Amino acid sequence: MRILVVEDEHKTADYLCRGLGESGYSVEIARDGFDAQHLIDESEFDLVILDVMLPGLDGWQLLELIRRRSQVPVLFLTARDAVEDRVKGLELGADDYLVKPFSFVELLARVRTLLRRSPPREREHFRVADLEMDVLRRRVTRKGDRIALTNKEFALLELLLDRESEVLSRTYIASRVWQMNFDSDTNVVEVAVRRLRAKVDDPFTQKLIHTERGMGYVLEDRS
Amino acid sequence: MRGINSLAARLSLLFALVSMLLLGSIGTYLYHSLTREIAWRDDQMLQGRLERLEAILSNGESVDMLQHRSHLYDNMMGNRDNLLWILDNTGQALIEVNPSDLPVPNLPTTNTVRLMETAGPIQARLAWHTFEQDGRPLTLIAGKLLDERNQMLRAYRLRLWFALVIGAFLAFLLGWGVSRHGLQPLRRLVEQANSINIRQLDRRLDVTGEAQEISNLSHGLNRMLDRLEDGFSQLSRYSADMAHELRTPLTNLLGQTQHALRRERSDAEYRQVLESNIEEYERLSRMIDSMLFLARTESPSRQLICDSIDLGELVLQLCEYFEGMAEDGARALINQAHGTAVANHDLLRTALANLIANALRHGSPGTPIHISTMEIGERIKLCVHNHGPIISPDDLTKVFERFYRCDPARSGVVDSGGLGLAIVHSIAQWHDGEVQVESNAEDGTTFSLTLPRANSWRISFLFNGSDEGVRAEK
Repeated sequence: MRILVVEDEHKTADYLCRGLGESGYSVEIARDGFDAQHLIDESEFDLVILDVMLPGLDGWQLLELIRRRSQVPVLFLTARDAVEDRVKGLELGADDYLVKPFSFVELLARVRTLLRRSPPREREHFRVADLEMDVLRRRVTRKGDRIALTNKEFALLELLLDRESEVLSRTYIASRVWQMNFDSDTNVVEVAVRRLRAKVDDPFTQKLIHTERGMGYVLEDRS
Repeated sequence: MRGINSLAARLSLLFALVSMLLLGSIGTYLYHSLTREIAWRDDQMLQGRLERLEAILSNGESVDMLQHRSHLYDNMMGNRDNLLWILDNTGQALIEVNPSDLPVPNLPTTNTVRLMETAGPIQARLAWHTFEQDGRPLTLIAGKLLDERNQMLRAYRLRLWFALVIGAFLAFLLGWGVSRHGLQPLRRLVEQANSINIRQLDRRLDVTGEAQEISNLSHGLNRMLDRLEDGFSQLSRYSADMAHELRTPLTNLLGQTQHALRRERSDAEYRQVLESNIEEYERLSRMIDSMLFLARTESPSRQLICDSIDLGELVLQLCEYFEGMAEDGARALINQAHGTAVANHDLLRTALANLIANALRHGSPGTPIHISTMEIGERIKLCVHNHGPIISPDDLTKVFERFYRCDPARSGVVDSGGLGLAIVHSIAQWHDGEVQVESNAEDGTTFSLTLPRANSWRISFLFNGSDEGVRAEK
């Protein structure tokens, strides 16, 4: 999977390059709009990450140019969270956006979503180690024992299972489980994860839900 | 008038205009009175002359005799302006005094004295009367040329115009002087106002001894200065607080990073520092978000998009969200809200979430938190109530200020940095609503948010619209 990062800030560009590289993507960097235009003309990309504040050709113009020749997914980055900017970007054909400062985990989640071209299939059954979930019958068992969960705990576990081995940020979890797409100052997600753990992990020796401090939570079999 | 910028010039022009109107009206009135008076006198004179002629003729004097005794009417005529005809029934002039050679007028017979003015190049006023002498009708006509009269009136008119123009000009000059003098206090006010700047915001305009209008204006300006000073000092305090708040996470970041680099450490230790740093960064990021949010409230530029919101449903959603946190402290969130409010959905949710989070933070463990609504006329009041330590009366007025904390020591990492309630306050203001707090030992603490209930509210203008309204959910 090839990603083009258009970013003039060196530090940002470098860490995006390294981070995405480590996540298994091959990354090209363009420092300004003209470079980016050139690179896009030369070769094919699966995703473009575009900073809209660029020297030379600005992000919006570049976005228009890209849209004229291809339907490659575009994720744009903006430092201003003014609604006009977001609307403009999405109207010009961008697929998603992130407001700076953003967490890398968040970026990675969006990149994965954009690259997963077909919509994710609703799964009915999950199994990780000895944990099983039957979505239709709303049944969760571990080692065959039934675990009683509240609605929101069930939704949280389903999300973690669906994105198995992916670190999910608190913001993302809040938006998916409670449809709360604002950055809350409270530790609601922490508390919810802790309560879920108390039921799913605590009675067992093998832990499945892990905290990635400073980034979020991940469910995986690490044995 | 709109093109003239000077108030004094405008006033002087108005003065001149008013004087012209007044002088003009008086002049016109006097002129017409004079004209009427002169005409009436002339008419009286003509009628008198006819009467005398008739008297002479009634005394048995025949017309033929009168023709010979012209001195009888010659001296009566006196000057070249006067006209006299005695006509027989065929219209033949028996006696004619007509220095201007006017044609013999052809007039209808009448038994009473009648008056008319001749048309033509030479104007004259005529009085006539038909009189019978010895069975033969005679028409007596007395007249006066209007030349002299017209000339006199023309001169009079000219003098009136002249007086009018001079009067208006004098009024303008006087008006100019008076206005300049009258506007003197205004110039003093300008001088005083000029001396007030950012460093001297505590200065006020002096109103002692000024005219009432000026002192009203000064009072208004002084009140404005009060508000500005207030806002300005709040702003400087805000900046100072903000810098101070930013210092705490930065100190942690600097300190722990430098400490980690002092000597070689294990991977786990480095890892711990980085993770701790992330927490501080997140705290900084949240603070910046909140500050931006508040900053935007100060430059409203866009219309707030509002819907009718089912409060019961919204509170239910929030209760689910905070369920875990509440149960941790063995507390229950009790949703007693119902009804609707007109508000921006995301903003109202943020405000309510902040209030509930605040109640959870300060409520005593084991006590319930009630969220209820109360309809008051066209408005709806949302109350979030908790038991727990009360807020002192001093603090009650300040809890909505930015960075204000009742307990200065309490500032955890998962904290809005003292901006949560300030955000609630701003959101309430955008919606033309208000937020209040009551706190006492018996009833506990209640924060209430009052909002319009139906669509009958004026449109507030808001910065960039809703914050989360257009987030792209993929």
